[in-house]
Amino acid sequence: MIFAELISYPRAIILGLLQGVTELFPISSLGHAVIIPQLLGWDIHQNADYWLTFLVATHFATALVLLGFFWHDWVRIVRGMGRSLRDRAIDPADTDAKLGWLLVVGTIPAGLLGLLLQDKLRSLFASGQWAAVFLTLNGLLLFGAELLRRRAPQTDADDDTRIARQVSWRDAVGVGLAQSLALIPGFSRSGASMGGGLLVGLSNKDAARFAFLLATPIILAAAILKLPDLAGSSGDGIRGQALVAALCAALSAYLSVRFLMRFFETNTLMPFAIYSCCVGAATAIYFAVS
Amino acid sequence: MLRAMRNDRLLVVVAVILGTILIAVAVVYWVEPAKSLPGFFPGHTAGSNHHHAKHGIAAFLLGIACYVFAWFRSGPKRQTSAP
Repeated sequence: MIFAELISYPRAIILGLLQGVTELFPISSLGHAVIIPQLLGWDIHQNADYWLTFLVATHFATALVLLGFFWHDWVRIVRGMGRSLRDRAIDPADTDAKLGWLLVVGTIPAGLLGLLLQDKLRSLFASGQWAAVFLTLNGLLLFGAELLRRRAPQTDADDDTRIARQVSWRDAVGVGLAQSLALIPGFSRSGASMGGGLLVGLSNKDAARFAFLLATPIILAAAILKLPDLAGSSGDGIRGQALVAALCAALSAYLSVRFLMRFFETNTLMPFAIYSCCVGAATAIYFAVS
Repeated sequence: MLRAMRNDRLLVVVAVILGTILIAVAVVYWVEPAKSLPGFFPGHTAGSNHHHAKHGIAAFLLGIACYVFAWFRSGPKRQTSAP
């Protein structure tokens, strides 16, 4: 089977590990999924059904890991939303409810734009050159967010309370719109959301937490929507590789989210901005020359 | 005060009507192929049998969002915030 040759098991392991890391680190998973195969000379057509189906499996695994990692938070958030629906009001003291509805409001713009534009944007910019250029812009975006960030207020409140108090409904829409940039290969979903969080006055740690919570329903829904393709003809010849890649993505995503939640307690987006700018610019030049 | 209450009620009515229209639009997207969609619908393509399921999902979710907004807006008045 030709698909099995294009995505061999060693390649599937590399791509799975890469997906788990780059989905959560603010350096664009889609961008790397375009750039790395082209850099390594793998003959993978970015808009081919088998490739998109393969990627769905890795996205699904990443989303499940995110859901599991924040499981207790999601249970509290969903209960809070249930309380607010029952009372037909969001109690200002009920930060779980407020956070839950902030996530819903933030998910709407990215969800709508994703449903309507994902395929078009993907086919338009699915080349290594474009992804490299947008990866560079992703770095500049992260730089800009750190430079223009509002100072986060110092409080003793817990993480979710701080987020619920600091982020307004309008801010949530803004962060959701920023997240939509991830539809373009090269821009990072988590990076755009974290940048948006910094601009509305969240700390790096809270911005990362809000970005990961915001990303979970979108990635999970997008994966579930396309998961049936894996069982259909698009999945012929790549199901085994997709499963292996999904397991690798799950492992690297778990390690990544654990690392990043600690990293952002004391660090900023700057290392990822530098990485994106350097790697983006270098690969853009390489693709242009070669 | 009275004016604010009227505005609130108007917003609720508009949200419910909009929500109903959007859910109806979603059903049309799911049921009709692209060639049979009304000409002013995004995704209308003459001669295409493709179903724009994603457009339908988007319209459906927006419709639900309108209903949720109306649900909160029409709730008992107290010191609250609404999405």
